[in-house]
Amino acid sequence: MSMREKNWFPILYMFITTLLLSAVVIAFGTITRQRVKDNERIAFERAVLEALPIDLSGRTSPSEIHITYRENITEPTKSTAGALGYRKNDSLIAYALPIDGPGFWAPIRGVIGIAADKQTITGISFYDQNETPGLGGEIVKSEFRDQFVGKRLADEGTSLEIRMVSVELDESSVHAITGATQTSTRLNKFLDKRLSAWRDAMKEIE
Amino acid sequence: MRSQPKMQNIVLDGLWGNNPIFRQILGICSALAVTNLVLNTMVMGIAVIFTTALSSLTVSALRRWTPRVIRMMIETLIIAFYVILFDQALKAYWPDMSRNLGPYVGLIITNCIIMGRAEAFANANPPGLSFIDGFFSGAGYACVLLVVSIVRELLGMGSILGIPMPFFSSALWDRWIIMVMPPGAFFTLAVICWIFRSVQAAKETQVPGGKK
Amino acid sequence: MTLSSHMIHLMVILFASIFTDNILLARFLGMCSFLAVSRQVKTAVGLGLAVVFVMTCTVALDWLAYRYILQPYQIEYFRFILFIVIIAAFVQFIEMVIERYSPVLYQNLGIFLPLITVNCAILGASLFMVIREYTLLEGIFFGLGSGIGWMLAIVAMAGIREKLTHARIPKGLQGPGITLIIAGLMALAFIGFTGVLSGG
Repeated sequence: MSMREKNWFPILYMFITTLLLSAVVIAFGTITRQRVKDNERIAFERAVLEALPIDLSGRTSPSEIHITYRENITEPTKSTAGALGYRKNDSLIAYALPIDGPGFWAPIRGVIGIAADKQTITGISFYDQNETPGLGGEIVKSEFRDQFVGKRLADEGTSLEIRMVSVELDESSVHAITGATQTSTRLNKFLDKRLSAWRDAMKEIE
Repeated sequence: MRSQPKMQNIVLDGLWGNNPIFRQILGICSALAVTNLVLNTMVMGIAVIFTTALSSLTVSALRRWTPRVIRMMIETLIIAFYVILFDQALKAYWPDMSRNLGPYVGLIITNCIIMGRAEAFANANPPGLSFIDGFFSGAGYACVLLVVSIVRELLGMGSILGIPMPFFSSALWDRWIIMVMPPGAFFTLAVICWIFRSVQAAKETQVPGGKK
Repeated sequence: MTLSSHMIHLMVILFASIFTDNILLARFLGMCSFLAVSRQVKTAVGLGLAVVFVMTCTVALDWLAYRYILQPYQIEYFRFILFIVIIAAFVQFIEMVIERYSPVLYQNLGIFLPLITVNCAILGASLFMVIREYTLLEGIFFGLGSGIGWMLAIVAMAGIREKLTHARIPKGLQGPGITLIIAGLMALAFIGFTGVLSGG
């Protein structure tokens, strides 16, 4: 074991160990990379379906989500101003508009569904957020999201408003989450910006 | 060389007598945060057991060749290796859980227990025993966290593993929301530690000159 | 974003990471040294300052490493090991610099530096920085805020524990037990800041 006493031995040892372990990690990372990407894609597709008036009960596995998505959803075209389309028998039932913007801690990404009348909200869902658990994180809960269903985009000004809990609601507003003012304000800001831009773009297309 | 430790003692020490959390309050940082839900805690516990057992095994298998000067570096490397594998596997095969646990799986690397077992046990014992030692140290740690999470989820949400429990999910029980918030974790762990230490103290006075 | 609203955004990150989302009391990071080194205010201040400094710098360094080394090669999963190496190397480097140029500072702060490498709050801050997709500037403010928040918690804890030396605490609760209970009470108090900042 005289080799062990040489002063280059620790360096060689470190080098070989690092090389071996890294090789395994890289191999595993490469094998799973496509899967990780697929997962992200499925999360998006699930959010799209959840924002639309589609009954997903019992069909929530990744492959079922993917099939449902492929059968019903069409990619954005010029006539939808960036929104995905939900079609049945070639007639358009609703639009799904991807939304994203800065949250309190990290970017929030989601989808909002709008019926064919371009006014009635069919639902909202989020597939990526890192807001404070129990506060801003509550945006993913159905208590918050269900409020959006059936609301109408205002024709002028703020398209959709997230109001303080103390303020009364009308047909184009929902209540914020108590204690999560920062998340609610920011969400309100980019949601309205995206919706107003879409509303105006759709008017122009008509 | 000192005599080899008995298998039975290793198991008991890891789980109870020398439980890393009770004895030394070690390594709670990486896992206390996820104890508000039982399911998250179980996955985190498995991650810790996986890492402790396999890194002890590897450190022990390499112990005759590892040069003394870089021992700590090699140990860190091995621990990080297993943590990365677990994290990546979670990301690929259970993305929702991966998102729930956030950075805490990665933080297992800095969990003092794993390094502690590698230094204190795996360096001087054969691979098989080291694996057992690592496994049960990890298991002892995971058990405590599991108890914490069961208390927190039950009192805070009225459920265990998301399944509503009788009485606790009924209108009779006013949910202690504070339990699923950060302070709840501190209080629960403090009370559990209190119970453990009192039981231990009572035992030690009963058998004078018994176990350390 | 205009300049002033950008500044406000950074300030919100800073204050939120100190108070409403305290890395120790809300995220449980850095508990080991928190429990072990919170007996005296003086040592707590020393360790706290070292954490503030190291955390701010390593979040910035880790950001650069993540953006310019890991992302281009799509090997993000190496971040765990790379961040640890960067933190360890940085701490070692700072220790050498301080020892060489300021023996006084070394005596007061230097002894805490080795403790920092094993402080999971430091690694945790960098991992949060990655998850939250911060820009470099946001990351620096977040690192600074988290460091200050950690220091605030440990100094307050040390202050309380100094007073507690004469208190009669049940035997089984002495040491870590009572420290955890105080930490829980402090966490409760920090939740109170939520309303002040309306952080969500």
